[in-house]
Amino acid sequence: MSEASPALSGKEGVPPSGKVGTPSPHGRHGLEPFFATVESAPDARVAISVRTGRGFLNLRLNPHSRKAREAAERILGQPMPLAANTFTVGKHRVYWLGPDEWLIAAGEERASDLGSGLTDALAGFHAAVNDLSGGNVELLVGGAHARTALAKGCSLDLHPREFAPGQCAQTSLGRAAVLLAADGEPSTYTIIVRRSFSDYLCRWLENAARPHGAGFSVL
Amino acid sequence: MTAAQPNRLRQNGRIDRTRPLAFSFDGKAYEGFAGDTLASALIANGVSLVGRSFKLRRPRGIVGSGAEEPNAIMQIGEGAAAQPNLPATQVGLYDGLVARSTRGWPGVRFDLGAINDVFGRVLGAGFYYKTFMYPRSWWKHYELAIRKSAGFGQAPEGPDPDRYEHMNAHCDVLVAGGGPAGLMAALAAAKSGARVMLADEQDEFGGSLLAFAASIDGAPAAEWAAAAAEELRDMEDCVLLPSSTVFGYYDHNFLTIAERCAGSPDSSVGGGVRERLWRVRARQVVLAQGSLERPLVFCNNDRPGVMLASAVSTYIKRYAVLPGRRAVVFTNNDSAYRAALSLAGAGAEVAAIVDSRPGGAGDLGLRAQALGIPVHAGHVVTDVAGRRRVTGASIAPWNGESWENVESTIRIDCDLVAVSGGWSPAVHLHSQAGGQLAWDDSQLCLLPAEARQANVSAGAGNGQWSLGECLADGLRAGAETVSRLGLKTAAIRVPGADANAGEKLIEPMWRAPAASDADRCPRQFIDFQNDTTVADIRLAAREGYRNVEHVKRYTALGFGTDQGKLGNINGMAVLADTLGKEIPEVGTTTFRPAYTPVSFGVCAGESVGELYDPVRTTAIHEWHVAAGAPMELVGQWHRPWYFPRDGEDLDAAVARECLAVRNSLGVMDASTLGKIDARGPDVVEFLERIYTHKVGGMQVGRCAYGIMLGEDGMLMDDGVMARAGEQRFYLTTTTGGAASVLSWMEKWLQTEWPELEVYLTSLTDHYSTIAVAGPNSRGLLEKLGCDIPLDKERFPFMTVKPAVLAGMDVTLFRVSFSGELAFEINIASNHALAMWRTIMEAGVEFEGAPYGTETMHVLRAEKGFVIAGQDTDGSVTPVDLGMNWLLSREKDFLGKRSLRRPDSLRKDRKQWVGLLSLDGRTVLGEGTQLVGESGEPAAMCGHVTSSYFSTSLGHPIALALVAGGRGRNGETIYAARPGLEPLPVQIVSPVFYDRKGQRQHV
Repeated sequence: MSEASPALSGKEGVPPSGKVGTPSPHGRHGLEPFFATVESAPDARVAISVRTGRGFLNLRLNPHSRKAREAAERILGQPMPLAANTFTVGKHRVYWLGPDEWLIAAGEERASDLGSGLTDALAGFHAAVNDLSGGNVELLVGGAHARTALAKGCSLDLHPREFAPGQCAQTSLGRAAVLLAADGEPSTYTIIVRRSFSDYLCRWLENAARPHGAGFSVL
Repeated sequence: MTAAQPNRLRQNGRIDRTRPLAFSFDGKAYEGFAGDTLASALIANGVSLVGRSFKLRRPRGIVGSGAEEPNAIMQIGEGAAAQPNLPATQVGLYDGLVARSTRGWPGVRFDLGAINDVFGRVLGAGFYYKTFMYPRSWWKHYELAIRKSAGFGQAPEGPDPDRYEHMNAHCDVLVAGGGPAGLMAALAAAKSGARVMLADEQDEFGGSLLAFAASIDGAPAAEWAAAAAEELRDMEDCVLLPSSTVFGYYDHNFLTIAERCAGSPDSSVGGGVRERLWRVRARQVVLAQGSLERPLVFCNNDRPGVMLASAVSTYIKRYAVLPGRRAVVFTNNDSAYRAALSLAGAGAEVAAIVDSRPGGAGDLGLRAQALGIPVHAGHVVTDVAGRRRVTGASIAPWNGESWENVESTIRIDCDLVAVSGGWSPAVHLHSQAGGQLAWDDSQLCLLPAEARQANVSAGAGNGQWSLGECLADGLRAGAETVSRLGLKTAAIRVPGADANAGEKLIEPMWRAPAASDADRCPRQFIDFQNDTTVADIRLAAREGYRNVEHVKRYTALGFGTDQGKLGNINGMAVLADTLGKEIPEVGTTTFRPAYTPVSFGVCAGESVGELYDPVRTTAIHEWHVAAGAPMELVGQWHRPWYFPRDGEDLDAAVARECLAVRNSLGVMDASTLGKIDARGPDVVEFLERIYTHKVGGMQVGRCAYGIMLGEDGMLMDDGVMARAGEQRFYLTTTTGGAASVLSWMEKWLQTEWPELEVYLTSLTDHYSTIAVAGPNSRGLLEKLGCDIPLDKERFPFMTVKPAVLAGMDVTLFRVSFSGELAFEINIASNHALAMWRTIMEAGVEFEGAPYGTETMHVLRAEKGFVIAGQDTDGSVTPVDLGMNWLLSREKDFLGKRSLRRPDSLRKDRKQWVGLLSLDGRTVLGEGTQLVGESGEPAAMCGHVTSSYFSTSLGHPIALALVAGGRGRNGETIYAARPGLEPLPVQIVSPVFYDRKGQRQHV
């Protein structure tokens, strides 16, 4: 259960490999009470789901250091996005957060293993790899009226011409800061929100989607 | 005409006679039809008296048919859902509608306040300012009476049961106004591929086309409008918003629209919403809101039955109601002749058209004469008779010059006076957007001139009056936005329509002459809603008010729910005349949002109740809730305040929790602390500049308490930092400072010190923190199973180590915020609840207790630990706090130089000390003022920043900032208490408990 990697270890940046101590290897995303009680409308035109077990890493490195970038990309097995507010999809999803900052939503591989790999590969470079698996919650919002529901609390233009699949943005949804990404399917969005805001955000989404019928599920 | 609706015409109109709707006005039941407004339904039922005026309480009737209505201001609905101050002309009728007039007590027909009109000669402009000034102490009595009598509607009590929401939208072209010009502009833009939004305040598109007999391409104009709207509705990326008023135009082409959703099937989104606020970012804006007709100014021109000529036409043509049976039409331009023709066509008698122009009208005049309507060119209406309803009009010949002693030659019986003083383009949004206005001396109106933002005006709002001109101008404006967007303009032709050839120009008639001078004759109203008269404006000018903005504030001209839509231009003209100036020299008052009143509900949107502000919760929150802990709001966090057992109150629970920590074991959720990972080759240098202590001397694995100052030298935030590696630190911040400290650090890195190679990453949400405190905390961790030795020698105070605890990966800090032996367990948040539960089970053996923020505060206060933000307020230096030991002399850091400012070195600065109540039992209130002497008055010498009852010590303790406090140890000062004698208190050290700090080192 090494998602719970501590900030400190003998070797800088490498989370120690720990033992699994809880029944669920992923622990809790914190939205269990919300999803356990919320009611889905029968004819939902906005589908809201929470993805369990997603690992996250924050990566910072100098984008002008090609060697550092290539070292990271070898571990990731996919290119890192260099264009602002875009993401790449491969084994993982790599979101551009800033000129020298990315968020990696880990695929099948465990975030801690991926983090160790990155840390090893980036040894000697000015870089920072931090496991944020406990700090982020991933929500998916889709359905015919998803865009309308999000537009109630997001001032970005979500028209597919302006916010096309492959684009992401750090913005506000309601009063929570989120990373919003346009997925491949039309009118399907991934929202990554800080854990402490996730209950508020789900309540906000539920309210925004209510007039259109909101459906809830756990992935 | 039916008995139930005596003024309803038998045919035509855009109402659905198969759908009768019941409604009530002032408690009396009436019936109207679907498609009516409340105003048209009232007229249909013969209700002509709808309100009382603001100051003079004169009876008032419906004047207009839209946003300009000053009089028919209604309270709509009942109970918590009631909405005050809606113009009846903009309230769509629905079944069961309950309306009340908002002014008149006890009722609108018999109003005691009408006595004001009798004594009104003294109620001139500035009456309140002049009369209620003295004696000043009486104002509170005056105010009560004035406020009661000045009321419009009543604010509903209780939470609004309706749903309101906000919607963000973006478009290439926003068209404000769906009349002929707006529809053409929208078609031109949409057909060229632009994303278009079209908003109109009426529930049907077409604007003036719905109210006038006109044809486009040979078909009735309203049909053309419906077809155009249908065509737009079917286009992708075109949003049509009926019943929607564009009310604000802000910088960067940001506009706001209030949509009234009930009964708007065209709404592009789901139902169940009463009103929706659209926040629109438009690349281009076409302003096509049309124009507003002005009334004419003559004696008693506010009597019920005096109505705008365009409103008369609208009521007849659109709503099939007849506002009067025998009418006089009074005008200074050609457009009012249409009202005469409409009236005649609907079977009313037009007793006279009174035209101030010696030459009368053009072609329309000939048509009126052909119908046998008497036209009195070169005449004016000087006065009307009747109180609750017009009974007649006096007319006199006029040469355009004489103003007084005009003898009326003819008296004409009538129950309706349709007036037109010309048209004012609705330049409000253009002006809100910063655009210039220009006075047009031939059309006698303000026209939009140079725009400051990306907007174009079109149609009647741009001074294009005929239907043909409006259509062409709309197309031009639409095409212009398309070319500005860089799109290819689709080929569209202008549909065929009348060009209104043969019209004669308007001629000025700003104020009709009267039998005596303007200050003595019966009132000539300029602003109906505020009872502003010609005499008031003249008085203001005589008293020295020359700027139109000052005159507005002195006379109330242009205030109120209608914002002077009818009166402002007439008022400008009268002021200019009084001052001997030209109208453009006088200018106009500023146009500000909102164009029409906007409800508080739609401003608030969904930001009510639990969505008012985010509630942040920790990973352990659900346990706290289940344990019944009351929550304290800290920043946006909900933190458990205390954990009551068996009906304990706050004091009892906190006393128990404090003793548990001091004697055995307490556990707290400290997850809300900010946490930052800082690393890079220059991280030590960076932190040296941010923190005040010597960071470079810290060994890997050590912790240090650190503070940071603002550039002003004042304490900004504090926390524990741990050195996790040669180039890596783990920083904690206060709960409230987490985001701002990270931003502060990034600001310095990115803007001032870009040469430093340091990366910061927030770990606040990833890690949860569980503080385990008390003499048995080590025993607890050992019981849980920990893979590292925890004894004092191998894991000393202020160190940090990774560990496996209860089988889970954690980082263990040996730090203490209670002064006891304590550990802080950092664990990834998705496992924090499991860890907390494990600890709670294991802690039973030690009679451990979870504790909340209140106990945390007491424990730290007993130890004299400062809380940034509670004991400090941005004006406290570390020296004031007695933290000199934290200020490194060997290096520079942010704020250091400010500590040597003369003010920072003052000897009498407030310094942080402890206080003991000398009676041994009084817990001082936080914020209590401290004085040096018990007598009054005494100069304040400080205030209490924290205060609690310490169960461990058995007496109250307090922390305070006291002038020169540290040098006054042992001195007695006094705590002021409202209504009680000041309490003597003794200045002591801020450390009350375990002064040597031995307990945390065991």
